[in-house]
Amino acid sequence: MADIRDTDLRESGEKREGSSLAAAIRADTLRVPLLTLASIAIALLTWQVMSTFIFNPFLIPPPLEVVRTAIPMLLSGEIIADVSISMVRVLVGFTMGSLAAIVVGVLLGRVRLLHDLVDPIIELLRYLSPTAMIPIAVIWFGIGELSKYFLIFWGTFFIVLINTVAGVWRAPIARQRAAECLGASQMQIFVLVVIPSAAPYIVTGMRVAMASSFMSIIPAEILAADSGIGYLLQKSSMLLQTNRIFVALLTICVLGFMVDRLFRLLVDRTLTRFMSFVTVT
Amino acid sequence: MLQLANVRKVFKSATESYVALDGVNLDVRIGELFCLLGPSGCGKSTVLNILAGFEQASSGSASANGTPIRGAGRDRVLFFQDAGSALLPWLTVEENVRFGLRVRKVARADWDAIIDKYLKMVDLDRHRGKFPAQLSGGMRQRLQIARALAVEPAVLLMDEPFAALDALTRRRMHAVLLDIWQSTGKTIVFVTHDIAEAITLADRIGIMSVGPRSRISKVIDLNLPRPRDLTNPSVARIFMEIEALLAPDVARSEERTLAH
Repeated sequence: MADIRDTDLRESGEKREGSSLAAAIRADTLRVPLLTLASIAIALLTWQVMSTFIFNPFLIPPPLEVVRTAIPMLLSGEIIADVSISMVRVLVGFTMGSLAAIVVGVLLGRVRLLHDLVDPIIELLRYLSPTAMIPIAVIWFGIGELSKYFLIFWGTFFIVLINTVAGVWRAPIARQRAAECLGASQMQIFVLVVIPSAAPYIVTGMRVAMASSFMSIIPAEILAADSGIGYLLQKSSMLLQTNRIFVALLTICVLGFMVDRLFRLLVDRTLTRFMSFVTVT
Repeated sequence: MLQLANVRKVFKSATESYVALDGVNLDVRIGELFCLLGPSGCGKSTVLNILAGFEQASSGSASANGTPIRGAGRDRVLFFQDAGSALLPWLTVEENVRFGLRVRKVARADWDAIIDKYLKMVDLDRHRGKFPAQLSGGMRQRLQIARALAVEPAVLLMDEPFAALDALTRRRMHAVLLDIWQSTGKTIVFVTHDIAEAITLADRIGIMSVGPRSRISKVIDLNLPRPRDLTNPSVARIFMEIEALLAPDVARSEERTLAH
């Protein structure tokens, strides 16, 4: 048995010497990045071929055409300006919504009576998507920044709230009782045990809310704004500039992806301790 | 030291009420290692939770050192079978011990010495920077012990703390626990459903009958030298005696589990 394994090892060792790139692929270190690149390359190629030979290139502009349109938009700072306007809106609304939701969620998670009183209202309100709230937001806050903050806040609040309440609830009883036995006061149990135990739930809620914020800022800007990525989409559509629409769409994809990665990186750097935990019952 | 007198515990739900304990009497002496032994579902954990102060007796009295038990007491530390969920997973081994010292307001200047002492006692001082998730099950239980001892309680209440460990680790933990008990003189109430474990550890064994209306039906004074060898005829005789006592209850406990 041991002999067989030895030969296996030796053989694979010899193969590995042949090509270090092939070895790296086998060792899985390069496999995922390579497949990601391949996936994007194949998609772009298919898109280029289809829009050149099959579909009307005006309706679906080929990628090279989109890049040609994007370069001057990037160089003139037009995209950067729109992106930063949208980003600021998302960040302000998201931050305020998350903070409010964490404070309220922690309270609701802890005070049962309060939860039972408020929960039915939340259960109804959370079906009002930010998009549904656009018309009333415009009347309440105009088409300026305030209405965008409000809409992103609205979208973020309920997602983070529900996750925070769940997290506070699921803080293991054994953990709280153990802390109490050691001599922790109710306040210490809450701050030092319950809230950290809820952290993974809160962070997950925030990640989901971040994604939804990116989705809801676009309709808000399409319907009621004079700047931002959504407005760029809307304006280009009115002028039948499909190239520019595709530039805006790609920008949204890349931006959402990058922000999520950034968020995960931030969490990894600051909250790793709280995110990796032993399975709890 | 710890006393239960005529304790009755009723669990009520909307539709039915269940008399878990009825007429439980218990008297644990200072410095003694007392094992509560019984099949699953006999209310051992309920007894322990009443002693810890997390459950209230429906009637009867529970007291520690003559004062009635109301809420978790600083002199009694409850241990959990699932150390993984009782420990704080975001703190290292050392920080978990420090947490207890911090909430108990032990003078900061003494922290390092206390942490050193107890981590050495459970042989974890080489792992002080690790997180609970990086420890084995036995190491987590040892950490739970160190964390509890560090706040210097008079009583340790242990709820099947080694039940989830493999047999070898469990034997090692028995040795660790006996060592610590002999060197610190703590009073220990140890809940188990394992006859061999009870015989290995206990000064006295309280045998619980299966519920409803569980009670401590018999207290056996072991009075045997340690370490105890189960193949020794006098030890084996006690093992069989207890097994015979438990047999009808074990069968009933199984039926009950099936019925539910």
